[in-house]
Amino acid sequence: MLILLEALAARAQQWRHGYELMKETGLSSGTLYPLLMRMTDQGLVEAEWRKPEQPGRPARHVYRLTAAGVTLAQTAALPNATPAQKLALA
Amino acid sequence: MIEALSRALMQLATCCLGESRREWALAMQAEFEEAGDARTLLSFACGCLIAAWCELPRHAEGRLSALSHAIALGLLVPLASIQFLCGLKSSMVLGGLESGLDPGWSHNPFLAGAQNSAMPVLHILWLMLGAWHLHLAWVLLERDWERVARTGALIAAATLTLFTFMAVLLLSTQAMMALAAILAIETIFILTLARWHARIFLNTAPATTA
Repeated sequence: MLILLEALAARAQQWRHGYELMKETGLSSGTLYPLLMRMTDQGLVEAEWRKPEQPGRPARHVYRLTAAGVTLAQTAALPNATPAQKLALA
Repeated sequence: MIEALSRALMQLATCCLGESRREWALAMQAEFEEAGDARTLLSFACGCLIAAWCELPRHAEGRLSALSHAIALGLLVPLASIQFLCGLKSSMVLGGLESGLDPGWSHNPFLAGAQNSAMPVLHILWLMLGAWHLHLAWVLLERDWERVARTGALIAAATLTLFTFMAVLLLSTQAMMALAAILAIETIFILTLARWHARIFLNTAPATTA
């Protein structure tokens, strides 16, 4: 979760595609999607549909951190964040 | 070939995610279309399937689906296999093996003729029971409760007929007693599943407007 949180926090305002996040974090789809689902359920990530860039392609889901997600990412990135806090996010 | 396999795995993952995660299934499907070569497609689809399986116990529909598969594959299919074996064993009895008959039968020449002549019917009944159990497993996974009830009634009728035949012919009914106990357990499981299914879909049914 920490890796994904860092990747999303790096460009917090920007909407990101799942495949792009996979390539950036090195996570497999089997790890990334359960994390995204859980983070969305917890209100840390927001998701929305985007129209396809090319005709004939399906609409794609995009993700970005919510305000709560950004706060959590900042807390986790603090040098004095306790190991317990980091462990809870790992 | 790999692409077709990947698409089949994605389809399976979509089914496993259920209605509550339909949007996520569509999101995965859209990203799958963006993945590059065949190997990437396959690894992406495998990952999505693993994610879908991990999600199964987290939502009621998934738990229902997992339990349905467990009952179908762990109870109904093995039971059908045993019934097919019983059917084949009955046919072997016709061929001269005497294992299916009561040990005392050979001392009663009057019964032996009747027992042997009834064997084809018993053989057919066992095979029909096996086939109906396979059908029951299939319709249970499809959650077609009307057909589940119809197949259950056929199984009950065939079991009762088989039991009557075996009792009248003084054949050993021990196997039938065990079968009746398993059928009772099976009925309880299926009724529980049907009630659970009704409860889930009653809760998720869209509200009707006045």
